Amino acid sequence: MDFSDTAERISQKITSRGHTVEKSGIETKLRRLVDEFGVPPAEAERTVLNELAREFSLTGFQSGGAGEQKTLNQLMNGEWVTVECKVVALTAAPSPSIAQTGIMADVSAAMRFVVWSRANAPVLEAGKWYRLESAVVDQYKGMLNLKIHSGTTVREVPHEGSLKPDITPIRDLSPGVASVRGKVVQEWEATHDRILQSGLIADETGSVRFVLWKEEGKERLNPGGVYTLYYATVDDFNGRLSITLNTATTVPEEGDIQVNTGSSSFQGAFVHLAPGSGLIKRCPVEGCNRVLSRQNYCPVHEIQPQFQYDLRIKGWLDNGEETREILIQRGESEHLVGMNLDQARELAENNPLGMDEVFLRFREALLGRYLSCRGREIENRLLVSGCELLHYEPEQLANLLNRAGGSL
Amino acid sequence: MNNTGRAPAGRREGVFEREPARRVFAAELKESRVHFKEGQDEKSPTYVLLPTGARCNRVFLAGTLTEKKKQGEQNMFYRARIVDPTGTFFVMAGSYQPEAMQQIARLEPPSFVAVVGKPNVYQTPDGAVLISIRCESITQVDKDIRDQWVLDTARATLDRIDTSAQTPDGERARSEYNIDPGLFRKMVFEALAQLKI
Repeated sequence: MDFSDTAERISQKITSRGHTVEKSGIETKLRRLVDEFGVPPAEAERTVLNELAREFSLTGFQSGGAGEQKTLNQLMNGEWVTVECKVVALTAAPSPSIAQTGIMADVSAAMRFVVWSRANAPVLEAGKWYRLESAVVDQYKGMLNLKIHSGTTVREVPHEGSLKPDITPIRDLSPGVASVRGKVVQEWEATHDRILQSGLIADETGSVRFVLWKEEGKERLNPGGVYTLYYATVDDFNGRLSITLNTATTVPEEGDIQVNTGSSSFQGAFVHLAPGSGLIKRCPVEGCNRVLSRQNYCPVHEIQPQFQYDLRIKGWLDNGEETREILIQRGESEHLVGMNLDQARELAENNPLGMDEVFLRFREALLGRYLSCRGREIENRLLVSGCELLHYEPEQLANLLNRAGGSL
Repeated sequence: MNNTGRAPAGRREGVFEREPARRVFAAELKESRVHFKEGQDEKSPTYVLLPTGARCNRVFLAGTLTEKKKQGEQNMFYRARIVDPTGTFFVMAGSYQPEAMQQIARLEPPSFVAVVGKPNVYQTPDGAVLISIRCESITQVDKDIRDQWVLDTARATLDRIDTSAQTPDGERARSEYNIDPGLFRKMVFEALAQLKI
């Protein structure tokens, strides 16, 4: 690596203060830090500059402070930095101690920012570029963000050209800020009254949950529509990623894209029917739908005598090498077992064993059968969207006979 | 049975993984002797080492129930014989498998059944070794499923024979049993030959 430019920069800073330094000495120090001690070049530059500043009793290099101007993708947790970036989104401040929050971006990356109320910073406007000196980088919920505090100098700067964020494939998302182009493949019932919309968005590489919180001026996405979402925030929630669209600029796109919704398939013998299969009762409270216990007790809404009946299959498929937990909803369950919801209800109501009788019938109809299931796999569980019973195929017999007999 | 989903290596750690049920013909299971435990824990799974070189904690089989017998007074249990194209499986269900016991009670031999269970190796006082399968579930099925199972088991057995030279369990089986896994090719062929083309 060539350190002459860096050494030149440092030596100029020192000579401008009326001292003379040996450029080759600076270069040696830099090389030693970077090559031998693995210090990042920017940090090495700062170290050497600080060292010389101390030697000559110079101040004003903001030692330990703002340091060199950096791009957003170079920032590290705990650093004091100077950056120039654009406010690409402003969001409602979640607390009175916060004046503004939103997202800042430069050509390299985008990041959440927080302006503390006590910072007395000028009000930032979306779409404008600012130079922030002595801002602090810290980590919140596993992602970096930029804190603007009372020691930060904020100055609006003119900027030429437009900023075009990179689109991240959904498979490559990580907590932080990202721009995504995808299709709204599912819309879910809101589980909270502050949620305006939630669902699943997918591109060619995968799918991810999204949520849009209620906020003035926010509109729902159209199911089936393709959108580019600039500067959405990506969170890790219980080990699964989810993107929040409140910070994002949403641009509807023409046309359609091929999506990968994580679909997979599995064939094997049905080897176990798990409790909770057959006829079940669900909580009638809107948006809840949880399965009730035998006493009609919902873990959230307590006793619900006006439950709704449903059918489902929970169990395990096994191909002799691997097993897969499967969950089959009512439609496919009826079709597999040959019993519909009304018949199951009638059976349960007219039988001394009640709902258990339905479970036993399901077990007799399913165990030992070879099934092929397709669906979405989430945490080793296949949520089945389609499945069928497999049948004996004589052509396989011919192949296997050849294989077994080939070397006899 | 092919899996087009993710490879096992891609699965997350710490997630419960059910032991797969191996497909093995009666004639091969009968030759098994080695019963071992993986890990020190009381609840660690135990495995029977198959002569074709695979560890087996659980089996899935489909065959003909030819005989069932209720035994014991206080601790009642069922013994059942289930026949495949190569031999007989000995299946039992005791009071620790109440559901399987109820299922067997309802079955009338002869009938086609599918069984999921765990194999165990026993030594009789006169030194003979017996493999019996402790039944987790047994259900009546039709001939179509029995035939699918024969194909499935033939394929799985051939796969084990073909890869046994490259796996640690295959290595171990060869040194423990002194049987050439290739000999089971003949068994597979004869089992398949009994099916209709």
